[in-house]
Parts: sequence; structure tokens; C-alpha cells
Amino acid sequence: MNRIELTRIPFIKNALKSRYPQLAVFIVMLIGYIFAILAGLIGTPVGSHNFSIVFVWIAWWAILILVAVPFFGRGWCAVCPIPLPGEWLQRGAALSPPDKRPKWLNLRVPKMFRNIWLQNISFLLLALFSSVLLTTPNITGIVLAAMLFAAIGLSTVFERRAFCRYLCPVGGFIGLYSQTAPIELRIKDKQVCVTCEGKPCYNGSSAGYGCPWDVFPGGLTKNTYCGLCMECIRTCPHDNIAVNLRPFSADLAKPSTRMDEAFKAFIMLGSAIIYAGVLLGPWGAFKDAAYNVSSNSWFIYAIVFLAIIFVILPGLFMLGILNKKNTLPLKQRFASLSTALIPLGLMFWVAFSLSFVLTNASYILAALSDPLGLGWNLFGTAHAAWQPMFTSILAPAQTLALVGGLIWSARTAQKAAGEVKVSPIPVIIYCFIATSLMLWLLL
Amino acid sequence: MKRSELISRILIITGILLAVGAPLFLWARTPLIHARMAEDGGWNPDVIQAEVGKPLHLKITSDDVVHGFAVGQMDMRSVDILPGKVTEVTLNFDKPGIYAFFCTRWCGLNHWRMRGTIEVSGASTDPQPASVPLYVSLNLDLDAPHDAPVVPTGKPSATSGQLLEANLPIDQSADYYRSHSPYEVFESLQNTSLTEAQRWDTVAYFWQSNTTPESLANGKQLYAQNCAACHGENGAGDGVFADDLAEAGEASMQTMEGAMNMVMQVPVDFTDPRRMLGASPALLQGKILRGGMGTGMPMWGVIFTEKQIWDLIAYIYSFQFEYGN
Amino acid sequence: MNPRFSLLLLVMAGLAVAFAPLPVPAIAPQERTFEIDAHQFAYSPSELKVNTGDTVTIQLVNTDVVHGLYVDDYDISVEADPGQSATLTFVADKPGSFRFRCNITCGAMHPFMIGKLIVGRNDWLYRSIGLASLTVIGFFPLSSFILKKEERNVA
Repeated sequence: MNRIELTRIPFIKNALKSRYPQLAVFIVMLIGYIFAILAGLIGTPVGSHNFSIVFVWIAWWAILILVAVPFFGRGWCAVCPIPLPGEWLQRGAALSPPDKRPKWLNLRVPKMFRNIWLQNISFLLLALFSSVLLTTPNITGIVLAAMLFAAIGLSTVFERRAFCRYLCPVGGFIGLYSQTAPIELRIKDKQVCVTCEGKPCYNGSSAGYGCPWDVFPGGLTKNTYCGLCMECIRTCPHDNIAVNLRPFSADLAKPSTRMDEAFKAFIMLGSAIIYAGVLLGPWGAFKDAAYNVSSNSWFIYAIVFLAIIFVILPGLFMLGILNKKNTLPLKQRFASLSTALIPLGLMFWVAFSLSFVLTNASYILAALSDPLGLGWNLFGTAHAAWQPMFTSILAPAQTLALVGGLIWSARTAQKAAGEVKVSPIPVIIYCFIATSLMLWLLL
Repeated sequence: MKRSELISRILIITGILLAVGAPLFLWARTPLIHARMAEDGGWNPDVIQAEVGKPLHLKITSDDVVHGFAVGQMDMRSVDILPGKVTEVTLNFDKPGIYAFFCTRWCGLNHWRMRGTIEVSGASTDPQPASVPLYVSLNLDLDAPHDAPVVPTGKPSATSGQLLEANLPIDQSADYYRSHSPYEVFESLQNTSLTEAQRWDTVAYFWQSNTTPESLANGKQLYAQNCAACHGENGAGDGVFADDLAEAGEASMQTMEGAMNMVMQVPVDFTDPRRMLGASPALLQGKILRGGMGTGMPMWGVIFTEKQIWDLIAYIYSFQFEYGN
Repeated sequence: MNPRFSLLLLVMAGLAVAFAPLPVPAIAPQERTFEIDAHQFAYSPSELKVNTGDTVTIQLVNTDVVHGLYVDDYDISVEADPGQSATLTFVADKPGSFRFRCNITCGAMHPFMIGKLIVGRNDWLYRSIGLASLTVIGFFPLSSFILKKEERNVA
């Protein structure tokens, strides 16, 4: 397929290869992140006027789901500050290339955890408490801090970025959806890697660290687990690593066969539908149930939430693809065909987030000038009033996203169905029903 | 260590220290008064020290919903305290004493419990003996039943009363009005040639003539802001919190500590003629000043000025009488 | 059928579904009054249906704290205190589905205190579902064609 190699442009290549631009971005992000933790802990308890809530759940979320993931895949992971303190400790350096002595325990992550089930669980844990998390600065501050310290802890026990790869609640779905992005990091020539001695891209060299994401670039066929940290560009002695511009959803042509990834697709699809109904719907009882954690109604909400994600959605999907004549095991067909839900889920999230973000983006101005709610007016925008934006184009934009997502998914279903030799029709109908439900909830 | 590594580390550590230190430092230097719903703690702090003659600057923020701030018995406009925003207030006290500050925007069933005190120390420039409220000098029992044995069939009309009132034996002093219930005045007209309905109309006119349109308007506003949430926008005791009060009252009766707990009651219905026509302004003044003693009715003595209470009482009677222009 | 031709046909049909003018039922405008009870964090009733052109009056009665009611796209709002209900009157001249939401911070879940106002018929929803159906229809012949080809290959 046609690709444009971005790293052929000297400016881009030098900017990626040098450690300084990345470090500069890292420091800014880390300061922002720590400030967000602090704002959450000491700032006003009113979410819509606290930097932590407004910048994490409105500004960052908007950028992540509307721009970063659809266009840059794991682009966020490339600048994410969460693993940095741990990684610097692990390496014993912030900038210098490594010395060969391993720091700390440097254990390998046990085989049973080397999948994204932990990420599925960590995402669900946050998802079940999302109404509280999204609205309570204290809780957001604590969760942000907990992620930072979990990353530090895992860095000291395990090798490489165990937190990013196996635990980060956000990383799981960014990885899943990054397969749809028009950006990829790949090798240029397979033969070079085959003959390459020592594989410094994986094992590290004096030029840089071995892949922090525990990936051998030579074997990359999809974006899911490549964090775009650019370490291999620095270590490859043969200049064999490229960052390419490519068609959207190129990775989905080869469907995955992993159950953890298949369920990630259902988790994300289901959460988007549930949030659209609970958070943006007109039903107060659902909101009460979702917010009053540990009340009886919350337990019912949690059970229904999990049932939709683990039983209803996959169950209906399974029913649709039951076909006794097919020789391939159902499990494999299930995993492969669920690839079709990846573009659909991403566009569900885009449609859901558009509504939430356009309505509440005006909070960003006020929070910028008075991040802690202490009565400051740093940029003169502290008194900016809440004002929804572009509400008249919201419905057409959501239709475009959802129907576009359906077309995209149907196309993906066709390809995946071709791989496992079944009819894509049931999957397309499944996607149609889900899309109609989402349209009804949002419009 | 290479210089670049050293500089990076210095930058990182400075950055982290700055990100932690700067907000903490600035936060510690900005003492705020936090307003929360009474259930979540009310004002914090709820006792503020001040001195006579020294302006008191306050920065107030709300941690949950819209609140308001005002100091009782002071001539000040209440200010809104908005969630996540800081409102600055400057107060000047010319007399020492203990002042009550309170929430002025309804913030739930227990809104009225959201009160605090400002302790103002210093020498008094204007020694003025506190006057005793009328209900005390009349020695009224605020909790005694006071129903009117006779009530009119319709709403008495002040306009009709005005035509009849001339030369009737009614004491025109304010004290007479304040210390007598409409029923008592009605009774005092027994020996006239008027019919019962005419006597009630006369009483209505007498009540109207003891107030002014300005007082009624002021009373109406005070009523809407402070009373309507329980007593109802039309005085019928059916405000938005009436059901909650009844529920809370029942709940507290059912516990062993019921007697110790707040025994909430159903708010009084100001459209009930039996109750209202048997109550003198002085009695109502007492009830408002003192509050309901263990019911959901707050004590307003520290909040309202004497004039505000008389205005409010004048307005409350308008649920009984048809006033003309 | 020529695949290019059928694609063109689909796109045309899509444009028709998305933009073709629909007959608007002629219903004489009415005056409608709703009493909406607002409390943390819901309105009741939370779904209002009116006809296009109706004069809508909303009386906002708050039963706990200060709330507001802002209607998306109409960009109008009203605020009320418990015990001091307030009214908002407007002519519902824009058809469609609109969210109305609290515009006075009223506690944690305030951003999600939402209701729905449906003016006339929610055409946009039907058009969207129409477009989605068209997508499925478009994929049917294509899919069965690919499948047959692959079955032939397998055979």
C-alpha cells in the first residue's frame, strides 16, 4: 500500500532523533501533570472550575479522542508524562544513553500478565467510577497521582515500561484505536533486520535504550503496542526505521486473533453507548445510580454495566456469527470479526465526546486564568461565562461520525470476514443496530 | 556526568519543585471562607474576628452550589457566592458585638442552618440600650393556641372597609394595631351597626392602613427570598420543602432520640384564616424573632431588622385580606 | 450492475435522505406550559414534546438548590431559586431535538443535568438512521459478491 515516509524529511527526522525536543516536551508535560494533581488536591472542589478536571477531562480528553488517537495513533503516548519519573529512575539518567548495568530489579513481566487484560480491568475500574472521577477534583488528583506512582513502582520492579504496556487504563484503548490512525512506525527493509546483529533496537546500545515497549520493531505489523517513543530511530545502526503516513485503518486489514483485544473492542463500544445514555441522556435515575458509589443502585448500575460489556454485546455478536458449517473455531472468528468494531467504537467515542466537549469547552478559559479557584485572573479570562459552542452543527457532526463509522466498520467487517471466510452481513447488521442505538441516544 | 545530563536533571527537579511549590505557596497565602451546604459543614470558618473601625476584607468561595452572603441586621446588599469563584466583601462595623452572617440563596432543606458569627471587638461609639421586642413587653405566650373562633366567609375587602370605617371606635395608634389580632379588632366592633362581613372588611382596611405599599413590596421580597421555599409562594404552607420537612419530622419521631433530634413540622399555612386572624402582629413578630424552637422554622432575630420584620408581617396578612390600592 | 454506477446511485440516495425536504405537517401553533421540577441532578419531566411554532412556557420550580435551564441552540436560559419559581417563554421555531441543561453550577453532576426538548418531528434522527440503513443496503450486494468470489476460490 502507498505510504509516505515522513522521516525522509530531514527536519522531522532530526527532531525525532535528537533527545532534546522530546525532553523539552516531557518536562512541560510533567510540570502540567503534577500541577493537575496538586490542583485536584488543594484547588476548589467544584470540578468545572478546577484545573485538574477541566484540563484532564475536557481539554486533554478532547485532544486525545478527537485529534491524537484518530490522526496520530499512540501520539499521546509519545509525550505522556506518567512513565517518565519511573523511567528516569530505572535508567538512572534523564538524557544520557545508557550504561550497561541494569538498575533496580529489572524483572521480566510474568507471562500471564503479558496481554491487555490488566488494562481492560483498570479501564473498567475507572469506568465504573467515572461519574465521580469526572466530577470530583480530589478523586481525579488521587487517580493521577496513583498512576504516576504505579508507573514508578513498576519501573523499579520490572524491565522497560511495564505500566504503559500492561496496566495503563488509557493505553489499552489508545493502542486498539491507534490501528486506525494514518501514522505508523515501521522498518523500511525486513532483510536489514534479519541480518542485523545484536538487535540494538530491542536490546539497546550506546546510542539509546532497547525498546521501552518491549517490541521488536522488525516484527511490527500493527500500531497497537508501539508507543512512538522514537528510541529505535536512535538505536538503529542501519537507519532502517521509518515513520510513515499511510491510509487510515491500514492495520485492520489483518484482523487480530487475540481475545484480550477483542474484548477491549467490546469494552470501549459498550462504555461509549452506556455513557451516551447515562451522562448525556435525560434520565436522572441513571445519573444518581452512577454517581452514588456504593449505594444499592450503584451496584445494580455496575452489574448492568459489566453485563452489557461482557455478556449482552459479545453474546449478541456471537449469536450473529454462529455458523456450524464454518471450519474455523468460533473463538477465532469472534476475535477476527470483532476487528470491525474498532472503527465503530472510535467513532462512537468521537460522537459522544463532541457533545460533551463542545458544551463544556468554555470552562477551559476560566480554569486557565483561575486554575485553583482562588480568585486569580492570570490571563483576564477568569470570568468567562459558560457557553456551549457550535450546538447547531453538533447533530450533523455526530451523524457524520456515526454513519461514517458504520461505513468504515462495514468495510473492515468485509475484510475481516474475507480472512475467516464467513459472511460479513451479520457483523454489518450488528454494527447497524449499535449505530442506530447510539444515534437515538445522542440525537 | 555529562553536562547535558546534569542540566536536564536540574531542569527536571526545578520544574517539579516549581509545579509543587508554587501552587502550595500561593494556596497557603490565600485564606478563603468556604461555603458548603449545611449538611456538609456550612461555613468554614464560621467564626470570624473583627474590630470596630477596621474594614474587614473577606474572600468567600462556594464548594458546591450557589450560596449568598449577608450580615444580619446590617444595611447591606447580599452578595452571591458562586461555586468555584471567589467573591470579595468588605465590611465596616461601628458597634462591637456579635453579628450573624448567613446564606441568602436557598441551598437545600437546611439552608437556614448555614450561619456563622462575626465577633466584633472594640469600644462602642454609640451606646444604645437594646429595646425589648413588643411580644416580650406584652408578655405573650408564643406557643399558646391562638385560633380565631369566628372567621369570615370570604376574603375581607379593604376597599369595602374603607367606605365603612369613618368614625368607628378603633384606636388608630400603631401599638394598638400591633398588639391586637384581627379577631380582637373584629370583636371590638361588636356594638356597631355593621354586619359581620362589614366588620371584617373594616378590619381589613384597618390592617391596610397600618402599612404602606412600600412596606408590602419589601415584605413580599423578603417573603419570597426567605419564607416561600417552605411556606409556599402563595402562603399555603406548600413550599417545595414542605414535604421534605414532614418526612424529616416523621423520621426523627421514629427514632429513640426523636425528642432530642429536630422535630420537623409542616410549615404553617398563612392562608388559614382561623390561625392568622387570631394572631396579632406582636405574636407573629415573636414567632419570627424566636423561630420555631425545634421545628424547621429558623430564628430570624439575628438576621432581620425590626422594620424588616414589621414589613414581612404586613405582607403575611395580605394572604387574608383583599387590599385595595 | 457496474460497481461505479451503484456507488453513484448510493451517494445520490444518501444525499436525498440527508437533505431532501420533508413535508411539514401543518399544525396550528399552540400555547404550551410545562412545570418542570428541577433537583440535583435531573429535571422532571425531562422530555418535552412540542410542535414547531408553539409558544412554550417553562415554569422552573427548584426543590433543593439554585438551578438554571439553558436550551441548546435556542441559546436562552432561566434561573430560579427554591421558593421563587421562574418562567421562560419562547417560540419553538427551530424544529429538531435539543438538549436543555442546567447552567448554574449545582453540585458534582451538574454538567450532566440534562433534559430533552423535541420540537416537531426529530427529522435529523430519522435521516441519520436512513443513512445508516442505506450503508447496510449498499454493503449487501457487495458483500455477497465478495463472498461468492471467495467461496469459488476456496472451491
